Amino acid sequence: MDYHRTSVDEVFRRGQDFTDRPAVEKSAAALRTVPQLPAAMDAQAFHGASERILTAINTVIDGKAEAARLALTVLLAQGHLLLEDVPGVGKTLLAKTLARSIDCTVSRIQFTPDLLPSDVTGVSIYDQASRTFQFRPGAVFANIVIGDEINRASAKTQSALLECMEEHQVTVDGKSYRLDEPFMVVATQNPIEMEGTYPLPEAQRDRFMARISMGYPDKESEMEMLETHQATSPLTRVTAVVTAAEVASMIATVQQVYVSKPIKDYTVSLGRATRESGMLRLGASPRSMLQLLRAAKATAALAGRDFVLPDDVVSVAEAVLAHRIILDRKAVSTGETPQSVIRSVLARIPVSPEAAAPPPAGRAGRGMVEPPPLPNRR
Amino acid sequence: MTLSAQRSTGASGPGTRDRPGPGLPPSYEGAGAQPWAAGLAVAVAVAGAALGLNGVLRGWAWYSPVFTTVIAVAFALAALRALRLRTVVVAAGGGAALILVLTFTFFRRHSMAGFIPSPDTMDQLGKFLRRASETVLAESSPVAPNAGIVMVICAVLGLMVILVDVLAFPLALPATSGLGIVAILVVPAIIKPQSVGILGFAGAAVGYLLVLGCSQWFSPDPRTRADTARNPGQFRRAALTGAVALGLTLLLPLAIPGFDKGTFPQGSRLNPFGAASGLNPMISLGNSLRSSAGTGRITYATNAPTTPYLRSVTVDSFEGDLWGPDDRQSTRRLGTGRMDSGLELAATELRVVTAVDTGQFTSPYLPAPYAPEAVNGLTGRWSWDPATLSVKGVDTNSRDQQYVVLSVTPRLTPELLAQSSAPAQGIPDQFTRQPDNVPEIVRKTADSVTAGDATPYAKAMALQQYLRSGEFGYSLQSPVQGGYDGNGLSVLADFLTQKSGYCIHFASAMAVMARLEGIPSRIAVGYAPGRPTGATVSIAGQGPLPEFEVDSRDAHAWPELYFQGLGWVAFEPTPSRGLVPAYATGPSTSGGASTNEFNDGLIPKEKTTPAPAPGAVPVPLPGGAAGAAGSPLVTALYTAVALLLLGLLGASPRLARRGRRRRRLGSAGRDGPAARAAVLAWAELRDLAADYGVAPRSSETPRHFAERLRGPAALGEPDGTDAPGHRAVASLTEDFERHEYGRPAAVPATAARPDGGAGPDGGARPDGGARPDGGAGSATGSAAARIALVQAALAANATPWARFRAAWLPPSVLSAWRRSAGSAVRAVSDTAKRTRRGAADSWLRIRDAVRRVRRS
Repeated sequence: MDYHRTSVDEVFRRGQDFTDRPAVEKSAAALRTVPQLPAAMDAQAFHGASERILTAINTVIDGKAEAARLALTVLLAQGHLLLEDVPGVGKTLLAKTLARSIDCTVSRIQFTPDLLPSDVTGVSIYDQASRTFQFRPGAVFANIVIGDEINRASAKTQSALLECMEEHQVTVDGKSYRLDEPFMVVATQNPIEMEGTYPLPEAQRDRFMARISMGYPDKESEMEMLETHQATSPLTRVTAVVTAAEVASMIATVQQVYVSKPIKDYTVSLGRATRESGMLRLGASPRSMLQLLRAAKATAALAGRDFVLPDDVVSVAEAVLAHRIILDRKAVSTGETPQSVIRSVLARIPVSPEAAAPPPAGRAGRGMVEPPPLPNRR
Repeated sequence: MTLSAQRSTGASGPGTRDRPGPGLPPSYEGAGAQPWAAGLAVAVAVAGAALGLNGVLRGWAWYSPVFTTVIAVAFALAALRALRLRTVVVAAGGGAALILVLTFTFFRRHSMAGFIPSPDTMDQLGKFLRRASETVLAESSPVAPNAGIVMVICAVLGLMVILVDVLAFPLALPATSGLGIVAILVVPAIIKPQSVGILGFAGAAVGYLLVLGCSQWFSPDPRTRADTARNPGQFRRAALTGAVALGLTLLLPLAIPGFDKGTFPQGSRLNPFGAASGLNPMISLGNSLRSSAGTGRITYATNAPTTPYLRSVTVDSFEGDLWGPDDRQSTRRLGTGRMDSGLELAATELRVVTAVDTGQFTSPYLPAPYAPEAVNGLTGRWSWDPATLSVKGVDTNSRDQQYVVLSVTPRLTPELLAQSSAPAQGIPDQFTRQPDNVPEIVRKTADSVTAGDATPYAKAMALQQYLRSGEFGYSLQSPVQGGYDGNGLSVLADFLTQKSGYCIHFASAMAVMARLEGIPSRIAVGYAPGRPTGATVSIAGQGPLPEFEVDSRDAHAWPELYFQGLGWVAFEPTPSRGLVPAYATGPSTSGGASTNEFNDGLIPKEKTTPAPAPGAVPVPLPGGAAGAAGSPLVTALYTAVALLLLGLLGASPRLARRGRRRRRLGSAGRDGPAARAAVLAWAELRDLAADYGVAPRSSETPRHFAERLRGPAALGEPDGTDAPGHRAVASLTEDFERHEYGRPAAVPATAARPDGGAGPDGGARPDGGARPDGGAGSATGSAAARIALVQAALAANATPWARFRAAWLPPSVLSAWRRSAGSAVRAVSDTAKRTRRGAADSWLRIRDAVRRVRRS
C-alpha cells in the first residue's frame, strides 16, 4: 500500500526540484501576500476551454455530465471537492479524468489508517552531503490531489490536509512552502462501509467547497460503459486539453464575475435561514456563504455570463451546503435529509425581497412582528 | 389618449414603430383617419340609440337638436384627438364643445355672441331644468318635446358621446363602451311599451358594431404590430360570434321563465320588431293590472243606480297589428259644457250625475261615465270627440281635476234591445269597417257562436255568453307566457285558441266578432266599477252620494256595440270582472254582481298605480300614494345610473389592471433609468402570468419563473419554443436579469434593447445600443410590445374561462386587493395585541411597584 509513495515519486519524476521552491516565511505579512493572478480570459476562450474539459470528462464517464460540470465548477472556484458515494460508481475515475484532462501535476493518496501526516505534507530530511535539512515534499505538492477514501485515515492525518486546503501552503519545521496554483483536493469517501473509519470532522468537511454524489448511471449509460470499457481503460485515451496556466487564467476570469447586491442578499438570507431553521442543529457557516458565492460565480462563468443569477446560487446550493449542516434529531427521525432541508429552505426564501409577498399570517415572519416576550416576574 | 395613441402609431405604418411609448407628449405626426372614424362610430352609436327615444318624446322634431349635439361633440373629440392631444384634454374639449353647442341651440339669445354662456344663460338654464323636471314628473309619455326636456336629453346624450368615446378608445374598452349605449336604450325600454323599437335597436347595434370594428381596425394587433388584425378569418369569426349570440338571445328566453312584474313587465323577450309578439300601446293595460304596487287612485261619487264604468277612450279601428285609439284631432270640439253625440235615442233617458276627483292620476283623457253630456268644473281647455265622446285635454291633463259629469243613457231592457234589429245608420263607417286579414278561427268562431241568432241583440248575447262560459279563463299571466299579450288580430286568434286572457282579450274578441257579424262595435277602455270607500260626497242638489274608488288594478276594457235607436251599449264578456248590465243578463248568463273579485284576490290590497289611459297613453304618470318617486322616467334614470354603476363595479378589476399596466409600461417607455424600465416590465410580466394562472412564487428565480411561464400550462409550444411569445418572455427575462443582477456599467443605455432574441447567454455580449429594429412580428421593440406579444400568446393558449378571468377578474389585482384588505385587519389585530400586552405590562409594573412600597 504505497500508492502515495509512487505518487510522490511520480511528482519527482516530473523533475520538480523543491529545493528551488522559495520557502515562504511564516510571517503575517507573507501570508497576506496574494499571489499575482494571471490575466483573465475573454468569454470565447473561457467557453472553449471549459467545453474541452467537459467533453473530455464525458467521453470517459457516461451520463454524469452534471457531476462533471460541478467538479469543474469547484476547480474554477478554487474549492475542494468531496465525492461521496458507494464503491464502483466512478468517483475515482471522475477525479482522475478531471486531473488528466488538464496538463498539470497530479498526485493520488490512498488514505489508510496507518498513513502519516508527513506522508501528505512532506518531510525534512538531513542531507549528509550538504549537511543541511532538505525538504522532501509530500503528496500534496501537486495541482490536483486525489485523496481516495479519505475517511480511512486517522484524524491526525486528515487534519494535516487542513492547512494545505485552506491556505494553499505547507508548513514543515517552521517553514512554509506555497503550493502550486491551481490547487484542488478531490477526496472520495464511501458512506456505506463505515466500520473502522474516521468520519471527517466538521471543520474539515467545511473546507470542502462541495460534496457530490455520483449516483448510479442510467441503463443506457451503463450499457454503453460495458461496450466501451471492456478492453482498455478509457482513461488512457484522455489527453490534456488545457494547460495549468489556462486553468489559472480561467480562475481569474471567474473571480471577475460580478455579484450584485440582490444576489448577496439572497445568499446571506439562505445562510441565515439554515441557521434559524428548526430542523438543523448546525446551520451553514459564513465561510460556506463565501464558498457558495464563489461556486455560483464559477457556474455563471461556465454558463457564459459575467454576472451571477439567483439560478446559479440555487443550482449549487445543495452541493455546497448539504454536507455542512447537521440535522436535528427530530428532523432525522422524521426522515429529513440535509438535501431535503436545503431544498425546503430554497423553496421558502424569497429571491428578491421586494418581490416577496408579505408573509401570510401564521408563518415564520410573524415572530418578527411580535414584541419580545415579557420578562419573568416574580 | 395613451393607448389609442400607441395603437394608432401601429396603423400609421412601420415608420412610427419607434414612437415613444404611451402617455407621451404628442409627436409631430398626425393620427391618421383613426380619430375621425372613431368619432363617426361613436356618433352613429349614440345618435342611433337616441332613435329609440321616439315614443318617449312625441314626433321627430326633437331629433334635430339631438343629432346636432351628438355630431358636434363627436366632431370636437375627433378633431382634438387628431391633434394628438392628451386624453384629458380631448375629453375636456368634448365637454366644452357640448356646452357651446347647447348654448347655441337653446340659449342663443341669452348668451354672448350666440354661443358663449353668460350669467343670463344660467338663469335660462334654471328655467329649462325646471320645465324638464316638471315634464318628467307630470307628463306621461310620449311627452311633447318642450325645450327643457330636449335640452336635458341633448346634454345627456352629449355626455354619453364623451363617455362612450373615452371608454372605447383611450381606455381601450370598446366592448365596455356598450354600457353607455345601453344606458340610453334603457330609457325607451322602460318607458315605451313597445320597448326600444326596431329603429333604436338597429341604430344602437350598428353604432356599437362600428365602435367595435373601429377599435379593432385601427389597432393592428398590438401584440405583433403586424398587419394581422384585418384578415378575413377575423370577419368570419366575428360573424360566427354574432350569429351565436343572436341565436342565444332568441333561444334562451324560451328556456328561462320570463318576468312579468316590475321594471320590465313585458317580460324578457328580445323583441326588436315591436309588435310581432303583441307589444303595443294597450299592453300597458296588462302591465297595470299585473303591477302589484302603484298609484293613481280616482274617487268618484254618483247617483247612478248601479256603479258606473269610468270610460276614458275607445279603440275602434281593428286594422293592423297595432290597435290604438283614433284621436280624430280634426273633429274634436272644444268646450265640455255641452256635448252631444248627435244620435237619436228612442228610449227614455236615465240621467246620472257623477263627481270625480282624479287626484294624482295623470292622463290626457278624462275618465267619465258614459255617455257624458256635460262636464263641469274642469280647469284648462278640454276637447271632446262627437263620435266617441272621449274627453281629452288640449293643453292640460287629468291630474288634480275635480269635475262633475252629467251622463245620459237610455233605460235599456232586453226587450228594447231585441226590438232593435234595424241596420245601423248615421254612424261613422270606422265602427262598421271589417278588418282585413281576419284569422280564420275568429270568423269561424263568430259564425258558429251566433248561428241561428237573428237579431243583433241575440248575436251579442250569444257572443257574451260564449266568452263568459266555462271554456274561457281569466288570467293575467298566460297571455305573457303564451306570447299574445296585448291586442291585435293575431293575438285574438291566439286568445281564441288558448281561451285564457284578461279583459282586453275578451273585449276585443267580442268587439271584433260582433263587427264580423254586422254589429258596429268598438272597445272602451277605462275602469271597471269601483269599490265603495264608505264616505259620502255632497253634490249641490243631490244630497250625500256614496263614494267609490278605483285604481290601476281596476283598469278594464269592454266592448260597446251599437244598436240602432239605442246608441252604444256596453257588454261585459270578461268573466269575473266588471258588472254585467241588467239588459245583458240573459237567462243563462251568470249574474254579474261581483266586482273585480278576481283581481281582488289576485293583487295585494295596497293602492296601486293609476290605470293608464290606453292607446297612445301607455304609461300614465304617477301620482297618489307613492308621490313623485314612482315616475317611470325617474325609474329609467335610476336604472340607467344603476346599470352604469354596476358595469363600472364589474369592470373595476379590469380597469385597475389596465391602469397598472399602463403606468408600468408607460414609465417603462419613458426615458427613465433603463434598469427601472426592465424591472417594471418584469413586474408586469409576473402579473400577466398570474392573471393566466401561472402565479409567480417569491422563492423562485426569474429564469425558473420564465420557464414555467413557457411551459405547457401557460404558453405551451403550439408553434414551437421559437414563437414570438416565447421569445418575448425570454427577452424580457434576460433584460430583467441583466438589469437586476448584471454589472451596473454593463447595462445598456436604452430601455428597449432591440436585440431580444432568446439565444444563449453571451457573457460579454456587446451592449445593444440603438440597433435597427428586427422587423415586424419579432420579439423586439418596447417592453409594451413584448408584453402584448406574451399576452396574445397566453390568451391564445388559454381556456375561455382563463381568458375571461384574465380580462375581467385578474388574479393579480384581486389578490392585491385581498392582501391590502387583509393587511388592514392584520394591522388592527396587531395593534390590539400590542395594546393588550402593553396594558398587561403596565399592570404588572404597577403591581410590582406597589408590592415594593408595601415591603419597604
